[in-house]
Amino acid sequence: MKAKRTLRAVAVIAAGLLSTSTAVSVATSASAAARSTVIVNETSAMTSLNSGTPDTNLVTNSDIGYLTGAGFWYYDNKPNLIRNTTFGTYKITKNVANDFEVSYTVNKGLVWSDGTPITGVDLLLSHILGSSDYSKKAGLGDPNDGAAFNSGGYGSPYDSHIKGVSLSDDKYTVTLKYDSFQPDWAIFGPGPAPVHALELMVDGKTKLQSAAVNLAAKAQFLTDFNAGLNGSVKRLKTMGDIWSNDYNIQTIDSKTNPLLLVSNGGFIVQSAVANQSVTLVRNPKYNSGPKLYSANPINKVIFSFVTDGSPAAQALGNGEIDVYDGQPDTATFQQLKGLSGVTVSTDTTMTYEHIDLRVGNSAQSTDPNEPAYDGPFKGNGQKARDLRKAFLLAVPRQAIVNKFVAQAYDPANQADATVMNSHFLLPGQAGYSTVTAANGSFTYRNGTQAQRTAQALALVKKWYPSASAGSKTVPIKMLFKNNSRRIGENLLIGNEAAKAGFDVSNVGNAAWSKKLDDPSYDVAMFAWAPSAVSQTGSNANYQSDGSNNHYGWNDADVDAATHALEGLLSPAQVTAKYLAADKQVIGNAWSLPLYQWPQVSAYSSDLKGIKPGPLVPNLLWNYWEWHF
Amino acid sequence: MSENNQNPNAVDAADEERDLIAKETVGLSQGQLIRKRFLNHKPAVFSLFFLIFVTLFVYSASGIHLNWGATPITVQGWWPYTITDIPETVFCDTSVGCPTWQHPFGQDPLGRDYFALVMRGAEQSIVVMLIIGFFGGFIGTVVGAISGYFRGWVDAVLMRFTDFIITIPAIIIGAVIGFRVGNLGVVPLAIYLGLFSWTGLSRLVRGEFLSLREREFVDAARVAGASNRRIIFKHILPNAMGVIIVSVTLMLSGAILLETGLSYIGFGVQAPDVSLGSLISDYQDSFTVSPWLFYWPGVLIILIALSVNFIGDGLRDAFDPRQRRQISRKELLKATFKKPADPTQN
Amino acid sequence: MFSYIARRIGTALLILFGSSFIVYNLEALSGDPIAELRTSAARNRDFLIAYYTRQLELDVPPPLRYFHWLQGIAGIFTGHPNFGKARDGLSVYGEIAAAIPVTVRLVLGATILAILLGITVGVITAIRQYSRLDYSMTFISFLMFSLPIFWVAVLLKQYMAIEFNNFLASGQIGIEWLLISSAVVGVIVAGLVSGDRRRVITVFSGSFIAAALMLLIVNWTNWILNPGMGVLGVGVVVGGIGVGISTIVVGFENKRVLWATLTVVAATIAAYFPVNYWWSSSDMNALNLLWPVLALVAVAVAAAFAFTRVDRGPAIRVTVITSVFAGLFLIIDRLFQTWSIYLNTDGINMRPIPTFGEANVRLSSDNFWILFEDGLLHVVLPTIALTLISFAGYVRYSRASLLEVMNMDYIRTARAKGLSERTVIVRHALRNAMIPLTTLMAFDFAGILGGAIITESVFGWHGMGTLFRNAISSQDLNLLMGVFAITSFLAVMANLVADLMYSALDPRIRVR
Repeated sequence: MKAKRTLRAVAVIAAGLLSTSTAVSVATSASAAARSTVIVNETSAMTSLNSGTPDTNLVTNSDIGYLTGAGFWYYDNKPNLIRNTTFGTYKITKNVANDFEVSYTVNKGLVWSDGTPITGVDLLLSHILGSSDYSKKAGLGDPNDGAAFNSGGYGSPYDSHIKGVSLSDDKYTVTLKYDSFQPDWAIFGPGPAPVHALELMVDGKTKLQSAAVNLAAKAQFLTDFNAGLNGSVKRLKTMGDIWSNDYNIQTIDSKTNPLLLVSNGGFIVQSAVANQSVTLVRNPKYNSGPKLYSANPINKVIFSFVTDGSPAAQALGNGEIDVYDGQPDTATFQQLKGLSGVTVSTDTTMTYEHIDLRVGNSAQSTDPNEPAYDGPFKGNGQKARDLRKAFLLAVPRQAIVNKFVAQAYDPANQADATVMNSHFLLPGQAGYSTVTAANGSFTYRNGTQAQRTAQALALVKKWYPSASAGSKTVPIKMLFKNNSRRIGENLLIGNEAAKAGFDVSNVGNAAWSKKLDDPSYDVAMFAWAPSAVSQTGSNANYQSDGSNNHYGWNDADVDAATHALEGLLSPAQVTAKYLAADKQVIGNAWSLPLYQWPQVSAYSSDLKGIKPGPLVPNLLWNYWEWHF
Repeated sequence: MSENNQNPNAVDAADEERDLIAKETVGLSQGQLIRKRFLNHKPAVFSLFFLIFVTLFVYSASGIHLNWGATPITVQGWWPYTITDIPETVFCDTSVGCPTWQHPFGQDPLGRDYFALVMRGAEQSIVVMLIIGFFGGFIGTVVGAISGYFRGWVDAVLMRFTDFIITIPAIIIGAVIGFRVGNLGVVPLAIYLGLFSWTGLSRLVRGEFLSLREREFVDAARVAGASNRRIIFKHILPNAMGVIIVSVTLMLSGAILLETGLSYIGFGVQAPDVSLGSLISDYQDSFTVSPWLFYWPGVLIILIALSVNFIGDGLRDAFDPRQRRQISRKELLKATFKKPADPTQN
Repeated sequence: MFSYIARRIGTALLILFGSSFIVYNLEALSGDPIAELRTSAARNRDFLIAYYTRQLELDVPPPLRYFHWLQGIAGIFTGHPNFGKARDGLSVYGEIAAAIPVTVRLVLGATILAILLGITVGVITAIRQYSRLDYSMTFISFLMFSLPIFWVAVLLKQYMAIEFNNFLASGQIGIEWLLISSAVVGVIVAGLVSGDRRRVITVFSGSFIAAALMLLIVNWTNWILNPGMGVLGVGVVVGGIGVGISTIVVGFENKRVLWATLTVVAATIAAYFPVNYWWSSSDMNALNLLWPVLALVAVAVAAAFAFTRVDRGPAIRVTVITSVFAGLFLIIDRLFQTWSIYLNTDGINMRPIPTFGEANVRLSSDNFWILFEDGLLHVVLPTIALTLISFAGYVRYSRASLLEVMNMDYIRTARAKGLSERTVIVRHALRNAMIPLTTLMAFDFAGILGGAIITESVFGWHGMGTLFRNAISSQDLNLLMGVFAITSFLAVMANLVADLMYSALDPRIRVR
């Protein structure tokens, strides 16, 4: 039996030797030549080519949209708003009371990926997607009850302030008329959409068409758009259905209607495998934005869907992806660091962690039977103010920042990291140092934490003479999402505040966000995640009727300063208003910012030109500069 | 294949076997027999002692904290750190938070003592295991016994109810308890999981009852005028005890994996409390950098589950001697004609 | 019988109604579907909150909302079921239809492998009860029983993917691994035989040397980077398997069956080059894999008929099983030949074992064999992980079941009438021992579509488990209920099928 086995083993080997000859004959030569494909990690799958509906407004969809589209502006890694002058120009043409106009001009000679020229007509669809009035007039339905175009753009300031839109005679300039000055007018700009492709799909076309047919379709859209200003348009209704539904595809192959893929970005979608990957190739006709790098260029970008954390790090190490960005934990970061041939960098995002104290019941609360808030921080009396200030003094901000920013990715780091000190500006933004010098945050960074905690204890003792370290005199309920980072922050705060006589308990759970208006807790800790740079961006948090003011904050000075931010101001005036509001927010001991979230990018060292940015689409923002 | 059966050890085993059978028949009660057989199962006995040791070790390390009403009962453990303490991180030559004398299992990135975390996780696993075992075992036995004994429509209704419970996934229970109930701790989660994990046991017990109720001794008891209750509790249940205990031990080891699995995907024990599963989930990425954070919780899960499995195996052997080795014909022949074994041979 | 089935299906529908109602309401209570919006800084947050309230009917109490969902599902009776839309804008029906094949690919292989291996090992350990082999297999299966899959998966990824890929850079087995693996082979083989210490040592050293020698040849021929069996290898392996099967089923003495088996082996050798040539064509597809196997099966049946006169059943079984193995090894050999091409493909770059996903996204080949190899390699790690876990159950159950049966009176009778031990086990004991296992299998197969939540998440597969998990965490009720409807229906049906199979296999049990 053993002899037979040995014999068999020898025979297998011998046959193996024989068989290699057949294998070699069909082998294709492996190309060790220059690489031109980049595989980018996305944590969730693509669900649609259109990220404009509320359902499909997901990071992966909009990242793909960023590579396949170009418009009037983009954010760089500062983040500054950069005007894309290759695509066109825009400026304020009129600014008087009740009449504010901005005109957008598309440069001539730009084309869609099917060769059709891009004109001002292509900008008009964004009005349909943002104006409820237009939607109602054109018989597309009231967006509040569901419109033909299932756009996520309704309900914004654009919707409430736009009066009209007009197209110049040469069809290259679109002018938007608002009823008043819009502080964020620069980012309301219309984006181009391949309206001819939509029109062709309304006609049931499933193939790319000739230039003449495309131009006719574009003309048809202008006719439909203008008709929509006066009455119901059936074609637009059909188009709305196509826009809302037909782009929601996960599989793209030769059977996919090519009209869905018409775009004007540096890359066009070539194929997609559901829940696995999307492949983009260079758009040969691209001329709507910055030129693609020409030496050792990227010819193909593949978005591969891998969950964040260790799987992504392992996949990067195994060469299955080239580019990763996310918020890994310490260990994954170390794992990334340990990979050879991979460049790792840490930056901050615009998302920042902060801690809010309740003053009264939320103005947003709709429940008439809600019990009145009756915690230690209630109202604006001296006692509540002192206790609020004491609590904020006892928040070990430096320790938290060191732990979750500086040491998160370098545990041996002993240097102090930057604590964030303004509610309106991020460290590094213009005016930040002016604001933080005078907004009262000095109280919360002066001296050592031990000294501040001692001050806090003194303040508590003023009202509760029996208070001492560990006396648990003032019970505090803290709301936050129970993830490991927040648990850690809660433990650090709880341990430190206990020294000032507080007893911090955790009332957080996974459904924390539902409880934001609930008056049963005293402190909330979470992060704001701005999606744009805007001078009015923080107003909703601090205005007495602001939609993000869950804590009954009410201060006339804050309201005045934030309302002033809605007008046209010089940069210095903006900074002054920020300072005025911030001073009150901190002076009232409502809230303290903690730190900006760190983010990590890791990519194959062969890949050049990557500059991670703090806003979505993060490191993709300058894809045109990428090269090997 | 059959020629390989000529195996002197097997013959010795067969002799021992017969000796044992002979011994067993000499005036021992059922309980004594079972105990004797269990004690003969070395791995099971070892596992039992090991499990008791682990339980005592784990509980004495972190102490006992009960929040019953106004008077919380707290017994301090011998381990100086708890899961909420954040001691200074100890730096080592190559990495941070590595095992030291002060922190034998190392420290997590926040600085918490990992030994305290793992002990807390093991504590949770043991609690979950016992609660699920208790509720699952009790309900499964009752439902199975009633439907197997009474048959007919009672059986039909109870079995369809079992089907109903089978269709409700454990992960939903975890999600509801986790999201809705929040930080009540692991006990409610374990109770709810227990209320939904008796289905397999009830089917087994039912099958056992269906066949046992047709046996002669049951008929005899019935003829003697015993009530249903008496027949169930005094006559059938003791005979079904083997099946029940064995599948309850299987349920116990399954319960550990269920709880850690749920916690791993975030639907089990919720932070700030920890479970062995959530520890693995949190620190699996540390695998290449600080492997101790990854290995310890996994090792504890395996050790607890493994010893429970061995105890179950021992109990099965003890309760169910039917699966003892059948002495094959060849061995019998061999044994009959064989000379006494040469002691030098072994 | 028929009325019994009708009744059971009727109650099954009632059960599904009840459990879906409960699950719907539990899930609706368990979280906040618009959590993110509540802390969003979006300018049109109110519009979006209103949109989702309308879209997800959040203003309708969950018990009533359930009936809206049920109304859509009830369309199944008119042929137009409406599973609704998932929160990402895709149709639930479409998402499930895309996920099912993925899950099946992930779990089916592992389940079949676990059943085959588990039962084989269980039977062997039962036959050799209380042997060294039995003890070590008991320990191993208990160990596997106790393994958390999410823990094992991390280890598998590190050592079987990343480290193995690193190893492929040279493809040469280092001396320490050579010694360790030879020792492992030695221990396993020595564990299989029984006997005194001298015999064990002889067998151990024999197999240790044989294995070490073989690994040296593997190193010397660079077999790992350039594997293959060739016509001779396939012939020898299939021949060995055929002889083995015929020995187990009918005994080596039965020369007629042996000849029939060898005919199949000869046919395999004869088919080797034509089949390989045919498989090389550019329009190769998965169906073409099947034809040679079917042809071999036909040859097998014919050979069995030609060589045997009486008792043809076992003969046909032997030859057909052999022919299936023959087809399998033709495919395996072909995959071996593709290996080196695959390794050198741009996008694989000598790192073939992936840690996640269902296919390599970088692969731009349209060659059937490359894609086939790629697909198989992506299943490797999850299959190993899943097999490890469920294998143990089958070992324990089949061992216990066979031991139980071996104590039955009819086995004693069979032995008493002088049947060989082989016949007693294969023909009398094994079949009856497998009856209780059918229940386990039925439930396992039902569990396939809903089951592998953790495995899918660890290995980044987008199947039913991932859908289910995502649906729960994002409060996507339509998606959740779609997945639930399918999995719970299968669970209830598996229950019914298990009962029916039981009564079909065991005439003592009758369904009423």
